[in-house]
Amino acid sequence: MYRPFLSLRWLVTRPINLLGVGGVTLGVFAMIVVVSIFSGFLKTVSEHIRSASADIAVQALPSTAQFPALQRALAEDPNVAAAAPRLVHFGMLHEKDHRPPPPPLLGRGSLQGGDTPFLIVLGIDPAREFLTTRLREWLEDVPPDLRVNNLDAPLEQKNGHDAILLGAERMRNEGLKPGDLVVLTSGKLQRSNDGLSNPDPIDHEFVISGAFHTRHIGYDGNNTLVDIAVLQQMLKLPITSVHEIIIKVRDPKTTEDTADRLTRAVRRTLQIEDLEERRGPVARSWRYRNRFFLQSIEWQRELMKIILIVIMVVAAVLMFATLSMMVTEKTSDIGILTAMGGTPRGVMSVFLGCGMAITSIGIALGTLAGCLGSIYLENFRQLVLLWTGLDLFPVKVYNLDRVPYDLDPIWIMQVACTAAIVGIVVSALPAYRAARHDPLVSLRGT
Amino acid sequence: MSTSKRTATGIVDPNSIPVLAAENVRKNYWLGKRAIPVLRGIDLRVYQGEMVALLGASGAGKSTLMHVLGLLDTPTDGQVLYDGKPAHSLSINQRAALRHRHTGFVFQFYHLIPELTALQNVVLARMMQISTLHYWRERRAVRAEAVLILTQFGLGERLSHRPSELSGGERQRVAIARALIAKPRIVLADEPTGNLDSHTADGVMELLFEINQTQQLAFLLVTHNEEIAARCHRMIRLKDGLVVG
Repeated sequence: MYRPFLSLRWLVTRPINLLGVGGVTLGVFAMIVVVSIFSGFLKTVSEHIRSASADIAVQALPSTAQFPALQRALAEDPNVAAAAPRLVHFGMLHEKDHRPPPPPLLGRGSLQGGDTPFLIVLGIDPAREFLTTRLREWLEDVPPDLRVNNLDAPLEQKNGHDAILLGAERMRNEGLKPGDLVVLTSGKLQRSNDGLSNPDPIDHEFVISGAFHTRHIGYDGNNTLVDIAVLQQMLKLPITSVHEIIIKVRDPKTTEDTADRLTRAVRRTLQIEDLEERRGPVARSWRYRNRFFLQSIEWQRELMKIILIVIMVVAAVLMFATLSMMVTEKTSDIGILTAMGGTPRGVMSVFLGCGMAITSIGIALGTLAGCLGSIYLENFRQLVLLWTGLDLFPVKVYNLDRVPYDLDPIWIMQVACTAAIVGIVVSALPAYRAARHDPLVSLRGT
Repeated sequence: MSTSKRTATGIVDPNSIPVLAAENVRKNYWLGKRAIPVLRGIDLRVYQGEMVALLGASGAGKSTLMHVLGLLDTPTDGQVLYDGKPAHSLSINQRAALRHRHTGFVFQFYHLIPELTALQNVVLARMMQISTLHYWRERRAVRAEAVLILTQFGLGERLSHRPSELSGGERQRVAIARALIAKPRIVLADEPTGNLDSHTADGVMELLFEINQTQQLAFLLVTHNEEIAARCHRMIRLKDGLVVG
């Protein structure tokens, strides 16, 4: 009984032990909060990308590809729920009688939209797009003053002008509103009789039908949507031509397998002999298409974990120092404990108990603080913003509504277990030294 | 070695088994490869109810002998018998348990644990060899027993004081209470009044003599004070690691 009793007494009567508790608490807190924010960021960004992406996109189609034939082939797959054609082109957008804006300065990205005049022009079939992507949600999720008039036909002509949809953020940044006329400047390479390719400029006037908002700010800033028939006409392509086919699947769990099947189906339809050839038409899941971006965030999170281990090491050193100091100060007590019937193992247990109590309290406080800190970090940010005007986490940069978090119970368990193991190891060394201490030295020495 | 077998009550019982005995105990310390003999064949016996004074100059081996007798140190040769049974051949855990229930220690410098109150220091001695569950069941009785002993020693008002808040005499009384609460068969007291002024020392010694008489508890008392030694039942003089009288 004396072991837990003395451990507890020595723990509560020595304020320096708070250093050890504080170190462990801080380490656990930091590891939980930082990783939960990164996980939350990853989750939110994944959701944003997901909301802007079709389940599968069949890309790199040859210029001879015809949508009806491919659609029939794709529809045979049991997991395909819907498919929609797209033309993918490019251009610069500017107001009528205005020069296109200059290209962005070096180092400035176009994530926010509006910085760069260059745009990807997607020719879509709204009726099929509704069945395949979240187009209707994109159109509804904008402020009323930017919303299209007819949600069922967002790209219908107005006053003889073809309609165009722009990202809500770009429209805000450039002061555009529905009904404004804009010119899309683009071009197409024309092969001349001498075998050279020459650009054939295209200028086409559009009326802004409204805005869309996918929550993926990069997508909104860099894409503009026009009717596929209009783009086919601009580019002088047949009405069945297609650059990309987007697909909605019935069972999202088997998206990757479905994509593999669809690649083969498309290649068979296009009579490509080598179905395993790396080049050529290929169906890719949304996750595969964004894998580098998502992996970069995951890598940052893993890197952060390694950096945070340093905090745990500092905590371990603090704990080791305080426990070692305690053993040195308690040599006299070790002697009397032995005289009263204590064994070396018992003496070791007392100091080990101290270390484990410090570790346990640190883990409990750190876990609690870490969880609460993650959940209420946004409130804390708002409070600091209100009092000082300082934004600790500029969420708008990442198109977030609040500081994200995702508390992963497995990670919390891993942190707690790691801290416990570190605590045991760090406590065991001074405790072992205490157990090996000759009680006679302290009994004689005083 | 003294051959007296007079008990505290004056009855000599030549057949009784000594509470504590040493048979040809030798102890060497090593200075490099050179052996320094500190105890050179000690024989002694302490019977129940006896109060034995151990005298000797500084360096005579008194403290070493006390540590060997208290199983805190092992003899180089010879054996220590507790109630007639060899003690040093036991395992480390068995020796610890035997030390706890058989022997109480009182030191010159008290060796109280500074973070504990007077009461907790005494209760701690009872906690040493019982499980948490056992203690939890008997915690009220143990506490009452500790309070009773401390009150008998005049410390009833000082129960919740820490050692730093107690005088030297009070600390030694707490140390004696701690030695007695485990109900030992013998108390090994190493200069218990060596760090006290004469008035306080008298009070502490009176307490020890009283305990000896009322509880028939054996004492082996290291002292430099001839007057105190003269009041004991027997005196053992130690010189250069040998019993000389």
